[in-house]
Order: sequence, then structure tokens, then C-alpha cells
Amino acid sequence: MSHDATPTAVSAAPSPPSDLRYIRYDGSREDEYVAAMRQLISKDLSEPYSIYVYRYFLYQWGDLCFMAMDDTLPDPMVGVVVSKLEPHRGGPLRGYIAMLAVREEHRGRGIATKLVRMAIDAMIARDADEIALETEITNTAAIKLYERLGFLRSKRLHRYYLNGNSAYRLVLYLKEGVGSMRTAFDPYGPPADARAEMSGPLPAPPPALLHGNGN
Amino acid sequence: MLPSDVDRNPMMRISSQSVVPRDITDEFTQASSKLRTGQLVKDEYFTLFEAVGALEIMDSKMDSGYLGPGENDAQALEDDYDTTRELAPEQVLGVMDELLCHEMAWHMGHPLSQTVFTSLYLDKLLWPVPKSIEDAHFCRPRSSENKEEPALVNLVLRAYCLALIKCCDFVHARVTTEYYYEEEDFVTQLYNRSLLSQFDHEYFCNLLDRAISWLDEQGDSINEKVKEAIRCRLLFRREFFLALDQDIDVLESRSTDHFSFCLSQQALLTESTPLGVPVPESFSWKIQRKLASTIPPRPVVKISFEDALAHLKRLCQDAIDLMEVLHYRGPHNLKAAVWTLLSRKPQPSVYIRSLIQTMIVNNMTVLGSVSVKQFLYDELAELVLPSSTLLLANKDETEVPSDPRFQIANHMDLFVKRFAQPFVDTFRSACLNRCRIRRTVCHTLVEWDNLQMEAEDLDEQLRTLNSEPPLMLQNGDATYSYPLSSWAYHQKLNQFRLIIQLGFELSIYSPEELPGMYWYLSHICSTHLGHIDRIRTFIVATAKRNLTALAGKKREAVERHASLQNSLRLLERLTTQIVAVDAFAIALHALYVLLARHNILPTASSAQAYSSERLRYELRMKPFIPITLPELVPYEEYRREAILEGDSDEIVLERATKAISEARKAWEATLANGPFIRETQSQANPAPAIDEDWKKDIRNTMRACIGASIAIETVKKALAARGSSKNASTGVNLTVSIPEMGSKLRWHDWWIVPQVSQSQEPSKA
Repeated sequence: MSHDATPTAVSAAPSPPSDLRYIRYDGSREDEYVAAMRQLISKDLSEPYSIYVYRYFLYQWGDLCFMAMDDTLPDPMVGVVVSKLEPHRGGPLRGYIAMLAVREEHRGRGIATKLVRMAIDAMIARDADEIALETEITNTAAIKLYERLGFLRSKRLHRYYLNGNSAYRLVLYLKEGVGSMRTAFDPYGPPADARAEMSGPLPAPPPALLHGNGN
Repeated sequence: MLPSDVDRNPMMRISSQSVVPRDITDEFTQASSKLRTGQLVKDEYFTLFEAVGALEIMDSKMDSGYLGPGENDAQALEDDYDTTRELAPEQVLGVMDELLCHEMAWHMGHPLSQTVFTSLYLDKLLWPVPKSIEDAHFCRPRSSENKEEPALVNLVLRAYCLALIKCCDFVHARVTTEYYYEEEDFVTQLYNRSLLSQFDHEYFCNLLDRAISWLDEQGDSINEKVKEAIRCRLLFRREFFLALDQDIDVLESRSTDHFSFCLSQQALLTESTPLGVPVPESFSWKIQRKLASTIPPRPVVKISFEDALAHLKRLCQDAIDLMEVLHYRGPHNLKAAVWTLLSRKPQPSVYIRSLIQTMIVNNMTVLGSVSVKQFLYDELAELVLPSSTLLLANKDETEVPSDPRFQIANHMDLFVKRFAQPFVDTFRSACLNRCRIRRTVCHTLVEWDNLQMEAEDLDEQLRTLNSEPPLMLQNGDATYSYPLSSWAYHQKLNQFRLIIQLGFELSIYSPEELPGMYWYLSHICSTHLGHIDRIRTFIVATAKRNLTALAGKKREAVERHASLQNSLRLLERLTTQIVAVDAFAIALHALYVLLARHNILPTASSAQAYSSERLRYELRMKPFIPITLPELVPYEEYRREAILEGDSDEIVLERATKAISEARKAWEATLANGPFIRETQSQANPAPAIDEDWKKDIRNTMRACIGASIAIETVKKALAARGSSKNASTGVNLTVSIPEMGSKLRWHDWWIVPQVSQSQEPSKA
């Protein structure tokens, strides 16, 4: 999904500015938060997510969503991360970072890294085995951010996004033995609803934003 | 809220007697009023995919029926372009060229709705769906008054448009019968329109011919150059039409005439396109609103005429060179030809890739001439079972079930049944996009691991039936050849290597993984070399046993000798190639070890990373974890090997230097061998274009070898300089960068050679 962040060398400046307030999403304030979140995230998308996509995440995993607020601004939300956590194909407990955005004029200050760390820490606290996400191969800033945190590119996804760009799947193992955890079926196999590999044309996959992942 | 749909759409009515429909509007309204904002009501099967698929009514980017303030239905849906209007010849030219751009954009993977279907001319031809080809006309409904129709539009442009649609139909039909990935490779969606598939091809050719004749009859009324340009487009269209119409019949015709003609028109098309005058109002994004789609209109895809022609040119050239694949000369040669052609850059288009898939296997026949069983047997005979009785057993000749030959035939039939498809798929997988090749092979690896075990069972039964003489090991143990499982293992090791090497090509590995990945590549190569040695040992033993008969000059023995020698030559050729990969991998491994040791190798992960090196290794090895053989290297062993623990810099340098010089020799030998096994040396090369591509690839590898030699030398000097200086505790005075894919210094996709240079400033340790 969307990962727009342009951090600078986080290792050099690990502490983000202290004038920002980092908070966890609060469902009782959805009107206020979701509108701001959508505005922040939609800015970088040619095809916006419907309100259901936000609610899908926030209603079930609101505690894995974090926001960076600058109270000096009329629209205080300057950064957000949206994620989920659930067993992957009946196997490992997989965290998925669905969206990450930092307002353009606030980029380069380590805000995205701080938000992602908060999400990962929350997932670890809930006993996550691994974390996965996708990012456009042209989004070097986001790729660098995640790689610094220990993610590896596990595969490349051809023309994954609606704009025709390809993506990398980035994965982070948090425990030993995740790689050999059994899933309900072969992780490299075709999706459960598809026919056997190479047996003929595949049906259309789900929309390019997310296909085959996270669910 | 909308009323229930049932009345408006009688098709949806549930006919079952047991279901009595009931209006639940009130209950629904009441229940939903109790929901808090943001509360989600869903069953446990409601997935993220479904959430993403949801549309928001009244959002201009999601709601296809949404009209902006002040927009009315007519403005939103209708274009007031008159398709019966007269066009100047220059405008006809302009429309033709823009249509070609759209056609090629569709070939490249964009949807019809944003390309070809944005033409109002095509819309007029295709909607309402024409019942006869005469219906497909720019004046619809046909006016009763006998108005004279402008022939340039109604004959020339119409002929071009109809043939273009039919060309799309041919491509659509071919791609959808093969294995492709919707949206990744191609968008097959037709939005409930037909691409004139029900109409016979002759009509289109006749129409084009009529258009050409009409044009030829026009005197000075049309500017000569413009006339020639239109003529050239009609001719091109006719030939392109015929080329696509030929499709897999090329297996019979072996003719590249049509594609060659198209190629020959490229220069004329390029030269004359500036003569055209665009008619932008004859294209409209609004047509998308009328197409059967849930997606709101998206921007029209614009590609330049230059890009369109470049794509077309490659398509034609690939189609012509494809002919070189069709002449069957055994599985080894077919594999070399298919992989070389499909590794071209840019990758051959989805149409070509679909065409090759069909040619590789169609109706259980390879290249239209060899049965899948024969193909598999040829492969076994080439590698592990030269002149073996296992491949001769036949139930037609031996009908007594107790006869061992009958039982052998039975077992071999089982083998064919189980292995033919996966084997043919190792060829077809080359036709997928590069990302999918790697993902598919990660999947088939597991399948081949199982296949190898099944083959082992068959081997054990066959060797009893076949009374295979064992080889005696030095310790006195008997060992058998296990031909079928040996072959399966060989396939699997090829797949291991491919997964690792495609990882380099797809830029999957971070810089700090490079020492380990090149070590792992060499580890797989040496395992493979050992395995080929084993296969060779058994063939040599068979050849020895054949010597006595050979001395007697028996015809059978002579033939057997020849096929044994052929297998040995093939094994030698494979050995040379794998040695080349192995040596290069060893050299790069050693080079990267030195860079990492002296902290000059860039790293992607930071000290504050959540994962350890051990966890990253586990993730990287994920495709190989379920594989029984070769066993996964335990992390501790991997780490020792990957960092060359215990070896001094001098030893590592020595290793790099030796390996790179061995690699250069082995790649030279590989180049000299060429891609194909040839029956006789004098024979003319039946695949010159593919041969040239293959050689270019090897030469690029050799360039990468030279680059690596230089990098090794640079490191050597820097280490020596540091050693001789008084202060050996300072860092090495070098900077390292890893050339990205596509950059000039990345000589080869599979070989990441670091750029090592002297730093301006001495670095601090």
C-alpha cells in the first residue's frame, strides 16, 4: 500500500524533533483523525482508498495506528502509520504495515522512522512473528527506512501498482523459526482460489493496491 | 438509501419458492442508526481485499456515475464529434498514427479503456455491437438519404480501424489461452464489447485491398507524399493483420514474410508521421463511462509514436527470431534457445511470450512435432540414460505382464505421466515476467524435491527389473546409478541456481548480503559439479562395458558408443559452464569478504535494526528451507563460510585472484562451446540471431570478470599500501559503490561487481 516517507539518515539523527506529539489512534475521535489521515495519505495516491479500507484497519487494529501531531499547526497531523496484525494463512502471526505518510514539509526529520518503530514495538508487544509490507521500487527513501530497521526485500512484484510501477515485498522476521512455520498451504504456491501453476490463464487478481498480500 | 434492487432488476429475483422476500429497509435504517461512527460491521470472511474493492458513492475518483457540479448527463457521456465528417488526408494519417500508439500501449499492458477504446471512430464501429460487418460503420444508424460518403474516411480509415480491431482480437485470443498475469502482463478486460471475433478474416483483407486500390486511383487530389504515407500504413496493417492471423500456424508455414514486411515499413512509417495532422477531438476519455466497468474514467494513456514503433519493431523482430526456436534439435538446445530469446531486454512482449508458450507445448506436442513423452525421453537420453533399454521398453512389443520389459514399460509410463508436465513447465516458466519466473521457480523447487523422491522409488524398482550391474566403491559397497532421480536432482540444482541469480537481477539482495549470496551460489555450484561427476562415473562405466562389443564392430555397439560419447560431451559442456559460474562466484565472494572486513562495503541495515543477521539469513533461505536435498546450510556454518573465518586477508586475496583467473578461462571456454550442441561442425548455424544474443550475454559476463579482476587488484594495492605504512590501524583508503541494475558499470544482471576506487581523503577506521 502507500509508503511515502523521505527520511534522512536516521542512524545519524535518531531522535526526531521533540516538539511533536506521537499518539496512538483513538476510535472515539474518528471524525477528526480519519479525515486528516485520508488527506495526508490520499495526497500521494492516484487512486484513493475508500473509507472502508481505513475502517477495516482502524476498527480492528486501531491500537497499531500511530500519529505525529504538531500542535502549532491548524491541521496538526503531520504523519501517520496504519497497520494490522493477524495470523498469515493460518501460520505465523504477521504484522502488516499498510500505510505510512509524512507531510512533505516535515520529511527528513525521522518522523516516519519513529512512527514505524512505534508500530513495530506495538506488534512485538502483541507477540508478532514477522512483519511484511510492500513499497514501490522507485521509493528509495521508504526502502532505505525499512532496510535500516532490518527488513529484507523478499521478492519483487511486477507492475504491482495501478500506475504500472513494480514493488518490493519487504519482510522482517522477529523470531527464529518463522521461516519453517507451517502455513495452511505452500507459501510459494498459487493463491488458493487459482488453478495449479502454469495450467492456464489466471483469473484477474484483486486490485493492484494490495493483491495477494496482507489477507 | 436506494430502494431494493429486486424490482429494477428482474434478473436478480430469487426464484426459489422457499425464499420469501421481505422489505427490511426500516429494520436496516434502525439498526444502522445505532452504529457509532467508524464502527465496522462485518463477518469474519470480510477481507482486506474486499475492503479495497469497495467504492465510495459520490467520490469523483471512485464513483463512475459521479458528475461534478454543473455537469449534466449529456455533457458527461456524449461527445459531439461527428464520425461521418470529412477529413483531410493529413488528418486521416494523424488518426491512424494515434491509433497505432494506442494499440501498442495496449500491447504494453494498459487497458483498452484508456487506449484503443478512447477512439470515437472505434466506438462507433463497436457499439452497439454490430450484427454484421456492414453494421460496423461510422454512420450509424445508416442514413436513408443517399448522401455521398467521403471515401477517405468511410473506406480508408474504416478499413484501417476494422483491421486494427481484428488485430487486437488475434492478440487477445492468443494471450488469454496461455499463462499470463492479469494486470501485471496484460489487461484482458473487453468491457462487454467484442473485438469483431465472429467475423471472418477475409473481409478485413478485402477491405484493406479495396482501400489501397481506391487510394491508387486518386490522382493529384491527394498530395503524393501523404498518399504514399497512407498507402504505407494500409500495407503495413494488412501485413501485420496477416502475421497475427498466422499465429501458431507458423509451426507449419515457417514463414516470417509478414513480420519481415512490417519491419521493412518501419523507416517509412517514422519518416512520414510528421505529415499527419492530429484530430484530438476524435478521441475521448468520456467513452469509459459507457463501458461496462466499475472504475471511473482514468486518464488516457499517451505514448509517443517513437515508443510505439520501438515496441512494434521489437515485437516483429522477436517474432522473426522465434523461428530459430522452432527447429527441434533436442531438449538441451531448445532450452538454450528459449531462455536466450526470452532473456532479451526489454523482455519480449506478452504476445510473443504467449506464442512461445503455445509452441513449446500444445496438445501434448512440443514445437508441433515431438510428443511430450519423446521430448522427455530425449532429455533423459541426452543426460543420464544414453542408449538405455529403459527408454526402449514398449508394451506394444512385449505383451506378457510377467516379462520384465513389460514391467519396465509400465514403470516408465508412470514416470512420464508424473514428470512430463513439470518438465515442460521448466521451459514454459521462461515465458513469464522476470519477477514471476523467480516466484514460480521457488514454488516448483518444492515440487521437484518431491518428484526426486518419487523418481528414487522408481529407480530402485527399475534397477532390479533391468538387472543393473552396481559400481563397487573403494570401501567395497555397491552403488547404483539412480538415473531418474539423478536427473531430477540435476533439474532441481538448476532451479536453485536460477533463484539465486534472478535475485541479483531483480535487486533483491542488500549489499551486506552479497558476500553470503555469492558464497551460497558457489556452494550450489560445487554441489552440482559433484552431482554431474556422479552421473559421469556411471556413463563411463557403461562405456567401458561396451568396449568389448565395440571391438567386435557390432553396429549396435557402435551406435551405443556414439550416444554415450554424446552424453559425456554434454556433461563436459555443463561442467565447463558451472565451473565458470562457480569460479566467478568464489572470486566475488572473496572480494566482498575483504570489503566487508574493512568496513568499506555499504550496508542497508543499521545497528538499531530489529533483526539479527541470523534472522535475515533465515528469511533469505525461506525458499530452500523445505527442501530435503541439498540440505539447508546451518546458520553457524553459513556465517563461517560467508566471512571466510580464520583466513587472513592474504589468503582471501589469493583466493580471489586465483578464482577470477579461473573464471575468465572457464567463460572463454564456455563462449567457445557456443550455446548449442551441434551434430556436425560443418552444419550451418540454424539459429544465428539467438546465437549472437547468447554470445553477447557471455561477453558481458566476461566484461564483468575483467571488472572484478580490476577491483581485486585495487583492493590488493590498497591493502599492501596500508600494510607497508607505519600506521596499520587506519582504515583502508578505498570507496566502494554497488552499481545499480541498468547502470553502465553493471556489465551483467547476474554479476554485481563492486566499483572500488581510491578515496580522496584517508578514511578513519
